[in-house]
Amino acid sequence: MTRVLGIVTAALLAVTAVMALVVSPPDAVQGDAVRLLYVHVPTAWVAMYLSFGVTSLASALWLWPRTRRRSWDLLAGASAEIGVVFIALTLAVGSIWGRATWGVWWTWDARLTTTAVLLVLYLGYLALRRVPADPDTRARRSAIAALLAFVDVPIVHQSVVWWRTLHQQASVLEENRLLHPTIHGSMLWTLLIGLTAFTLLYFWLLVHRFRLARVEDEAEDRRLELALAERRAEADVVPA
Amino acid sequence: MRTATRTRTRTWVVGALILGALGFLLARGLGDATVYFKTADEAVAQRASLGTRRFRIEGTVVAGTVHQVGDDVRFVIENKGATVAVRHRGDPPELFRPGIPVVLEGRFMARPGRRGGDGAAEFESDRIMVKHTEDYRAKHPDRVSGTSQ
Repeated sequence: MTRVLGIVTAALLAVTAVMALVVSPPDAVQGDAVRLLYVHVPTAWVAMYLSFGVTSLASALWLWPRTRRRSWDLLAGASAEIGVVFIALTLAVGSIWGRATWGVWWTWDARLTTTAVLLVLYLGYLALRRVPADPDTRARRSAIAALLAFVDVPIVHQSVVWWRTLHQQASVLEENRLLHPTIHGSMLWTLLIGLTAFTLLYFWLLVHRFRLARVEDEAEDRRLELALAERRAEADVVPA
Repeated sequence: MRTATRTRTRTWVVGALILGALGFLLARGLGDATVYFKTADEAVAQRASLGTRRFRIEGTVVAGTVHQVGDDVRFVIENKGATVAVRHRGDPPELFRPGIPVVLEGRFMARPGRRGGDGAAEFESDRIMVKHTEDYRAKHPDRVSGTSQ
């Protein structure tokens, strides 16, 4: 099943690459630099909405006593790791695109600043997950931190509306844009295929990272049991 | 024991909600203060209070005003009828061209501009950033089937 997902993902990513580099035309203003759009938007989508969204949802499900399961905590962590990778990619690709179109690698406008804050917030979240504690304490802490960090996601999304920015407005994820896109013809198709490909890539990565997290978790449990058994054995050998 | 844990959880959740709301409000409140750039018309209106302070200005490059003078590029930007003459040191970015909106970093020059005769505002810029829109359109529309414009 995962293998099928992997193959479909790889195929769609290949289609995206061909569409982005060969089929889609250069932009009237930006020329070939526009091709970065087909990576920049999908990575942002995967990081902000998918990864951090799933992290928040899983964290909330852990916090809710009726749905509390260790797996939710592991899923939240796995998803956040992918999110951090993709938000870093978004910033890197965005920076290169910015140099090509705006003429600068970086500027402190609201969109760029709040996105950088988002990266730092989730790096902090991942760091918090590494702070030694018993699994339940760690899960609670992490879940609350995840929900707090997610507050920045709608701020990033709205930053281009609330404030004046150098960054352009939303091209796809905006009510009016969905029906009347400002991206024309095959450029829009390329972007939509790219979004689908990166979405599948996210799920493929998530499945693998989650499985690994569970194995790690079980190994940790087993180590703990072994250590306890050893102590007991020692206690039996050495008479009190 | 169980109620104690519940109360603690509840305190945490409430704390989280409050902090979240606070962050939200803070961001919104700060919004009014963080003006990334002033539009050309605003800058002209606030000319006196701006003095020679450094700020960002936004406007569209007026066609036919761009010319090179030594190492400087001179052009005029326009926004809502207000125009500002610009003197930029260095090379403008690749996408810089007449008719494109730009954000400039720099300051108004101390003495009134010599151009225009009416003491028109002159802006000394050391950084041009090309502001592009969220409109994406093919350069060669014939390459794209079904999007003839």
